[in-house]
Amino acid sequence: MNTVSTEDFSELYSAHAAGALDPAFCLMLETQATLRRDVAEIVTVSESIAGAMLESENIATLSAGAESRALQAIDALEEDVPVTIQAIRKASERLDELVRLPDPLRDFALESCVRGGWKKLTPGVTRLKLDADSSAEVELYRIEAGRRVPRHTHNGDEFTLVVSGGFSDGMGSYGPGTICYKTPHDTHQPVADDDGTCFALAISNGGLKFTGVLGLIQRALGQ
Amino acid sequence: MSPTPANTPSDLREHHATCMSDIATRQSKAGFAELFSYFAPRLKSYLMGLGCESGQAEEIMQEVMLVVWRKAGQYDSAQASVSTWIFRIARNRRIDAARKAKRPELSAEDPMLQPPDIEQPHDLLDRAQIDASVRQELLELPEEQIAMLKAAFYEGLSHTEIAERYDLPLGTVKSRIRLAFVRLRGRLEPE
Repeated sequence: MNTVSTEDFSELYSAHAAGALDPAFCLMLETQATLRRDVAEIVTVSESIAGAMLESENIATLSAGAESRALQAIDALEEDVPVTIQAIRKASERLDELVRLPDPLRDFALESCVRGGWKKLTPGVTRLKLDADSSAEVELYRIEAGRRVPRHTHNGDEFTLVVSGGFSDGMGSYGPGTICYKTPHDTHQPVADDDGTCFALAISNGGLKFTGVLGLIQRALGQ
Repeated sequence: MSPTPANTPSDLREHHATCMSDIATRQSKAGFAELFSYFAPRLKSYLMGLGCESGQAEEIMQEVMLVVWRKAGQYDSAQASVSTWIFRIARNRRIDAARKAKRPELSAEDPMLQPPDIEQPHDLLDRAQIDASVRQELLELPEEQIAMLKAAFYEGLSHTEIAERYDLPLGTVKSRIRLAFVRLRGRLEPE
């Protein structure tokens, strides 16, 4: 049996493949896919569908000289020193941990370290604000073994994907690849498992309500 | 240098993969030009289909192709075919271009929120195999299922929007997409 049953196949995956999903949820889904084989498979199938559609796309007429402009642009490229190098220097403190994060998260975390880095919440609990270009709040939590996040409620919905380690909150236990979903009615106090540091990716919408159509972005380009 | 472009779709994909590795290993402009002549007109058409006017579509297409050049070293033919990889770049560019995002509406039952049933062996997915098999299966799907898949996975329409466009009941749209997806994925299941 597959967990993500195609019976209740979600529009999330097609929206993601097409580039129509809110970036915060793209990040969450892509991270989940590195932790879960079933999710990775669905994402791969979905992206392959999109890629095949590009092959059968119509042939538009390009403006004159389009190809030579592309070649000139290549020539004009300078070897740019990637920002990541600065990021790596500044992120030295927790570099090992950051480097072990799943691919989709790593760059966001490194970039965030350049801008400000980890903020301490309570002893053993820190968080890093990620700029996913979403209007939702996106944060990476680092909770040391056995430490608790202060009890809290939510103004809006909150989705928390366990990236490594695990936590329990009295209502359930969550391990890598699992998403904990809380509504404004829930109060909880997550406690990291005893056997190691827990990293978790949280998306929350503050005072706003997560409503509307399935994270579809506005007709992105046409507006 | 680039060998003669091929005749069958799978030869063509192989040829594109060769162009990518030529760019990555020795900055082959000829390889890039080959990819450009195939993908640039299609990307432009894709972008115009999303509502870009011609000039804007071409500008974004140029940016996408420049990324193809710069990131060619990251392309791995064992992970995806070139078209899947390039589409991913175009799609991310599309996300970048959209400054204002809507929220998703996830119900507690959404599959994304379900824990795994069983401990899953973290074995590697054969992505290239999935990519090839999806393309093969697509050739055999009925026209109306292809249209639904295209609207959802390529254009990014929601099921409701698709129902409106094709004047179909929402349930029909959902079941056609589900049917098609199960089939595309089906042969990959070992059991």
